[in-house]
Amino acid sequence: MTPVISLEDVWLTLGATPVLSGLSLALEPGEVLALLGPSGAGKTTVVRLILGFVAPQRGCVRLNGAVASADGRVLRLPEERNLAVVLQDLALWPHLTVAGNLAFGLEARGKPRAVREARIADMTRRVGLAGKEDRRPAQLSGGERQRVAIARALVLDPQAVLFDEPLTNLDVSLRRELLALVRALLKERGVPALYVTHEPREAVYLGDRIAVMGDGRVVQTGTVDALRANPVNEFVGRLLDDLDWSGAAKT
Amino acid sequence: MGRALTSRTQQLLLVGLAALVLLGTGFLPLVLAALELPLAGAQGLTHARAALTAPATWALLVRSLALATSVTGLALALGVPLAALLAKTDVGGRQAAFLVHAFPMFLPPFLLALGWFHLLGRRGIFGTETTSQLLFSFAGVVLVLALAFTPVVTSLVALALRGIDPSFEEAARIVAGPRRVVTRILLPLAWPAAALAALIVFALAFSELGVPMFLRVRAYPAAVFARLGGVEYAPGEAFGLVVPLLGVALGLLGFERSLAARRSFPVLGLRQRATIPLPLGAWRGPAGGVVWVLAALSVLPVAGLTLKASAGGFAGVPAWIGASLNNSVVSAGGAATIIAALGLVVGHGLARGRAGSRLLDAAAVLAFVTPPAVLGVGLISLWNRPVTHVVYGSLAIIVIGDVARYAVVGVRTMAAAVAQGPVEHEQAAAVGGAGFGRRLFRIVVPLHRFGLAGAWLLALVFCLRDLETAVLFYPPGREPLPVRIFTLEANGPESVVAALAVVQVALTAIIVAAGAALLRRAQRA
Amino acid sequence: MTWWCLILIGLAVSACGHGAPEVVPYTSVDQVVSEPIFRDFERQTGVAAHAVFDTEETKSTGVLNRLLAEARSPQADVFWSGDPVRPFILIGRGLVEPYVSPNAAGIPKPFKATDGTWTGFAARARILLVNTTRVAAADRPASIRDLASPRWKGQAAMANPLFGTTTIHMAALFTTWGEEPARTFLGDVKANDVRIASSNGEVKRLVASGEVAFGLTDTDDAAEAVKNGAAVAVVYPDQDALGTLVLPTAVVLIKGGPHPENGRRLIDALLAPATERQLAESAAHMPLRPGLTAGADVRGLDQVRAMQVDYASVASAVERIQPFLREWVGL
Repeated sequence: MTPVISLEDVWLTLGATPVLSGLSLALEPGEVLALLGPSGAGKTTVVRLILGFVAPQRGCVRLNGAVASADGRVLRLPEERNLAVVLQDLALWPHLTVAGNLAFGLEARGKPRAVREARIADMTRRVGLAGKEDRRPAQLSGGERQRVAIARALVLDPQAVLFDEPLTNLDVSLRRELLALVRALLKERGVPALYVTHEPREAVYLGDRIAVMGDGRVVQTGTVDALRANPVNEFVGRLLDDLDWSGAAKT
Repeated sequence: MGRALTSRTQQLLLVGLAALVLLGTGFLPLVLAALELPLAGAQGLTHARAALTAPATWALLVRSLALATSVTGLALALGVPLAALLAKTDVGGRQAAFLVHAFPMFLPPFLLALGWFHLLGRRGIFGTETTSQLLFSFAGVVLVLALAFTPVVTSLVALALRGIDPSFEEAARIVAGPRRVVTRILLPLAWPAAALAALIVFALAFSELGVPMFLRVRAYPAAVFARLGGVEYAPGEAFGLVVPLLGVALGLLGFERSLAARRSFPVLGLRQRATIPLPLGAWRGPAGGVVWVLAALSVLPVAGLTLKASAGGFAGVPAWIGASLNNSVVSAGGAATIIAALGLVVGHGLARGRAGSRLLDAAAVLAFVTPPAVLGVGLISLWNRPVTHVVYGSLAIIVIGDVARYAVVGVRTMAAAVAQGPVEHEQAAAVGGAGFGRRLFRIVVPLHRFGLAGAWLLALVFCLRDLETAVLFYPPGREPLPVRIFTLEANGPESVVAALAVVQVALTAIIVAAGAALLRRAQRA
Repeated sequence: MTWWCLILIGLAVSACGHGAPEVVPYTSVDQVVSEPIFRDFERQTGVAAHAVFDTEETKSTGVLNRLLAEARSPQADVFWSGDPVRPFILIGRGLVEPYVSPNAAGIPKPFKATDGTWTGFAARARILLVNTTRVAAADRPASIRDLASPRWKGQAAMANPLFGTTTIHMAALFTTWGEEPARTFLGDVKANDVRIASSNGEVKRLVASGEVAFGLTDTDDAAEAVKNGAAVAVVYPDQDALGTLVLPTAVVLIKGGPHPENGRRLIDALLAPATERQLAESAAHMPLRPGLTAGADVRGLDQVRAMQVDYASVASAVERIQPFLREWVGL
């Protein structure tokens, strides 16, 4: 099957610092791929690369087999890639209401009003924000804002969703609640997703497969069991160490 | 000997001194000007009532308001799209275009009118009867002032656009094309900057004296200036005419307060975070054309002045310039220094929410938006006494007038700079035992040295370009350069007057270049 | 930062000039004309002249404003007015110190005050400037009444009578003809579609370009038009009876000024015959003393029939007719 997103041997240097050194990964249809790595490993750069805000100096980015960026050039603009993202700082537009935030992309895609309203209603209900469509982000709690960000990404029916460490700023119980919501939504709609995080527990909980990042490239990819059984190096082994064998997070 | 001053005493002294200077220079004269009316006696009140009930008075006021509104509207219509193009898209040569477009806003608008006259006047380089009639009309004043003040809009809106958190923009770019991103997300987030720019342009256009007088269009502030004595010097009449001006000023202040109250989304930043420019694709060429045409229009009058001056004008400069260049530099430099110091204390207080700072800020805004004729009347009333002759007869009165009018520039610039910085540095110093004075001079000043330097330069530019304030009471023989050009223009040798104008341009260019270099260093820091 | 302050202080001190002798004239005579005279004075006497000049639109009211506003603590020593009427406002408010200059002896009596409150010299006349292309030599207007003549309907111009020398001219008509005839005349002028220009300079421009056939303006504006080569001719109106209105410039000594002694010296220098000659040559002002003209274009007082006016009466008339004029012009 053609991967929905694939990065092939990507090299990227920002300024004088090499960030990505021959990184390859592939997101298969219908799966959730967790990209796991410590802070500063370059995970956000991978997200920006896939979105089309930066081009690889060497290597290429393909979407559904077609080349989107390669060798220093962005061939398909961000708004043409039909992707969605939930950013770390959420970036909810403060001057628009919840409904406005959700509607923005739908309007840009030219969806008729009836379709828009239906989808927005469905999505707000699904994330538990029914009745709060007319509030502005400043009037919502942290958890509610997360839900809006997730809803905004999924309402567009994208070909893939990227998550860039969205839950880092939340407390433990909220995080668990939202993780469950994300997993349920993704499975419901069968949308492939790349979930970037530095928390092994999140990676294990959400990801069908896990790609471990280190030294600017993907060190090992596979299911949790496969990784635990045959860690390619000590780093990978240690990463998955504090989890028990059922794959559930230790408290 | 004796104990060092406690922190509270330091704060009282410093803030008190700043308040004294700010209110003493700007607010007190306004109060005096307003008081002259009731103090003018019964005859004065009769004159005042006659002036205020004459329909012609109100017609002229409406005219001035219409002028200021048209200028503001046109400046917004041109400046907002231009700001979007220059700050956010990949239009060609946008840095250079911005510099060329923005430069004339640092010049006295009257010089630009003079330049247009040399281009489009009857004997101008491209002049015909039609162009001359267009120039010397209400429409002509609107166009000249709009072109002069559009860069205010462009700069403030561009600054705000660059200061918007990049994630807002990127989140939008994933789903929408450049046009929708700019119009639905970026510009709405930058509206406070546009509103502030509109306020500034309106205040400047309404107070403008030189351009309407030169282009022979009757405007209210100029009429007050001319009528301050009139052939029959009627004190009540003059101050009666000033009352509507105070009304306009208070209205503008009210608008500004409502703006400030709505603490809006992103903060105007001195630091700028770059995003990738939005690609214009096929529209890049035409957009570039539009941008460069506007930039060229902005700077065309300067070219007109230079061409006129080159016809032997420069040779006459040493004979006709007198001491005005020296007067300009010294008075503006002195005023800018005081304004920067005021800005440090009051602006810091404003950013940190210290009690009373908002009132002081409001007083500074009021002094800025009040037409200078009122301020001038009050300053003369306050300082023209035998005992204060040493002030009134020297450059000090110009410094006082400039500080009064432009203190707000220092206050707002420093407030913006300090607000960007974390308060934790100051708090850490306080915990460590540093008093108010030490914190201010050892922590705040070094941390925000670029902001302080920027405030000084910006205040300097405003003081150098001032005409309306100084022309009312400049000390004999000590007029600043713009005033000299203005008085000489009436019947002076045209090429020499143009050459003097070019001197003013050159002086401004040096300051602006220094400011640009400073900005670059600040961004790298 | 510290050396910045030192530089500024240094410049400031240099701008002060303490101790050097100085005099402060306020003048409504064009800066281009008056400033060189002040420079000459500086050169000859070593007394620095720090002047305040007027601006175009507010011709002779701007500087007057300041004098009146500063009455409590006068900053000026001398007021050199572009016309003989404004000084009366100062005299009326007790702001003038009488001074009879030795150089005033040569000035004819109507053009000075015997008590020395004001002294006139170097005058301008109110003349008709005629476009020679539009108007044949035989047809030229010869009187001020031609402004109201139907033959010239819509073809004449005059400056705004609320300002400058025009307002004085109107006042002179009121005092000479009487209240009613003057009002009637102005009514006729208005009905004759006379163009109201913003200044005498504007009238000069209108005539020179041929937009109007003739206009009422001053001799110095006319001289400039002639110098620029325009097709114009100067007519001294009413030489047969009424006479042409002559408006001398006037000096007064300000009471309580900061440098009274130097003020007197400046007045003496201004009233010297050499100054009148220089003003005749450089600025086309009419000398009041006989025999001082050298140029062909400038007539002296001895060559022109002057309107007989008492400038004091004209001055009070100016204040009196302001409301009427304001209504006439429509602000």
